[in-house]
Amino acid sequence: MWVIEYRELIRILTISDLKIKYQSSVLGFAWSLLNPLLLMLVLYFVFSRAFTTTQDNFALYLLIGIVTWRFLNNGTSSSIRSIVGRASLVTKVFIPRQVLVLSTVLSSFISSLLEFLVLFALLIVFGVDLSFNLLLFPFVTAVYFVMVYGLSLALASLYVYYRDLDQMWEVLLQLGFFLSPVVYPITAVPEEYLKLYMLNPVTVVMQTNREILLYAQTAPASSLLFIALTAVLILAAGSAIFNRLERRFAEEL
Amino acid sequence: MHSRQESRIERSEVEPNGFAITVDGVSKKFRMPKEKKLTIFDNLVGLLRGGSYAYEDFLALQDVSFSVQRGETFGVIGPNGCGKSTLLKVLAGVLYPDCGSFRVSGRIAPFLELGVGFQEELTARDNVYLYGAIMGLTKKDIDRRYEAIMGFAELKRFENMKLINFSSGMYVRLAFATAIQTDPDVLLVDEVLSVGDEAFQQKCSQKIDQIRSSGKTILLVSHDLEMVEELCERCLLMNGGKIVFLGDTKSALDMYKRMRGK
Repeated sequence: MWVIEYRELIRILTISDLKIKYQSSVLGFAWSLLNPLLLMLVLYFVFSRAFTTTQDNFALYLLIGIVTWRFLNNGTSSSIRSIVGRASLVTKVFIPRQVLVLSTVLSSFISSLLEFLVLFALLIVFGVDLSFNLLLFPFVTAVYFVMVYGLSLALASLYVYYRDLDQMWEVLLQLGFFLSPVVYPITAVPEEYLKLYMLNPVTVVMQTNREILLYAQTAPASSLLFIALTAVLILAAGSAIFNRLERRFAEEL
Repeated sequence: MHSRQESRIERSEVEPNGFAITVDGVSKKFRMPKEKKLTIFDNLVGLLRGGSYAYEDFLALQDVSFSVQRGETFGVIGPNGCGKSTLLKVLAGVLYPDCGSFRVSGRIAPFLELGVGFQEELTARDNVYLYGAIMGLTKKDIDRRYEAIMGFAELKRFENMKLINFSSGMYVRLAFATAIQTDPDVLLVDEVLSVGDEAFQQKCSQKIDQIRSSGKTILLVSHDLEMVEELCERCLLMNGGKIVFLGDTKSALDMYKRMRGK
């Protein structure tokens, strides 16, 4: 299995990615944590007026949405270039090319976990009672990681052949941001569209995170099953696309 | 198990027939689009205009078969565009052959380019570990070789300096030292043996001699016929993706010179 055989390379590439991201400015690390908090403040002032009565703890509701969304956003938009950006590791030497995508997603994942740590601190500061439901968080996060990695496999390999895919993906992410309940409560979605709306696995992940972190609720088993199944499907589809396109990477780069 | 490796490269520790490299009927075709479409936009425009995808096939390798004994230094020569580099890339596992099979036994070190994967933003030390990991070494393996690498490159003093501040000479010295110390069984070399100043070059050729005499296999692709004559026992002469001659170096070089003379 390549993950085990090349674990040292995966580790080193992930760490060097983080090093380069954070060492370029002294405040680099702090900024990456401040960023979601500032975004939360901005969105809070804009949207708290629109949906005043519907949500308790709207600021924390927003923050969970933002932090969850940012992993998808940052993970996919950096990994889309993970093959093209390291062309010499594709054309000059043999390594399993999935290593490049995995290590980029992992470095975004570590950044995201640090943001969740800040979120946990704030949950405690605001006196949210954390229940044993918290134990579901690692499961949900692992499932979400598989989703983002599967999606990244497809994006990174397609980007080798279609170099304007990153522009399109940026637009799609913008669209996805508003199609997921990041800035508004789910009650704002019209009843007749709700079924369709809940088919978005990112929405379900986000809502599950809110249930287990903010509202001390047990997430329904159906939600957990749904995200686990979609994650497996996305990974399978992403791997299939990647394996098919990978054969001619070295000729296209 | 990683399917890619299974289908294309068979690695085994003990090779029963004593061959380090066996290539059997390998062909490689490149698709060269007459008009390069690199974006979704281009492709959509192409669809609207109608017209079929125009590809021109370029046969870079045609039914190439040969084998290299373990411990042999084997040269590959031929004019530009004859398929030498494609062959090397296939053996390195970078390109997939369209048909045929090949087998390389033991750890391969492709010297297609020096400093593959080096990152300028990282220190010399980090880059040594990065390169080692690319070659599939564990951290312990690299720990053990680290001092030897820095000693060979004569860069111990600069180990914590970022690569971006290195001179180009220091850069290639580090790259060569790192690559050579990974202790490969098979070296695939593409024109990169002479790096650095004269003293360092001498050190490199000493190292190469040492590697040869220790029974490692070297496949050398070069335009430097003198070097090929000096190092290689046997040679493969290629032209237009096909094997023209396979045999002792002297005959191969004679034939190549006659070919060029025409």
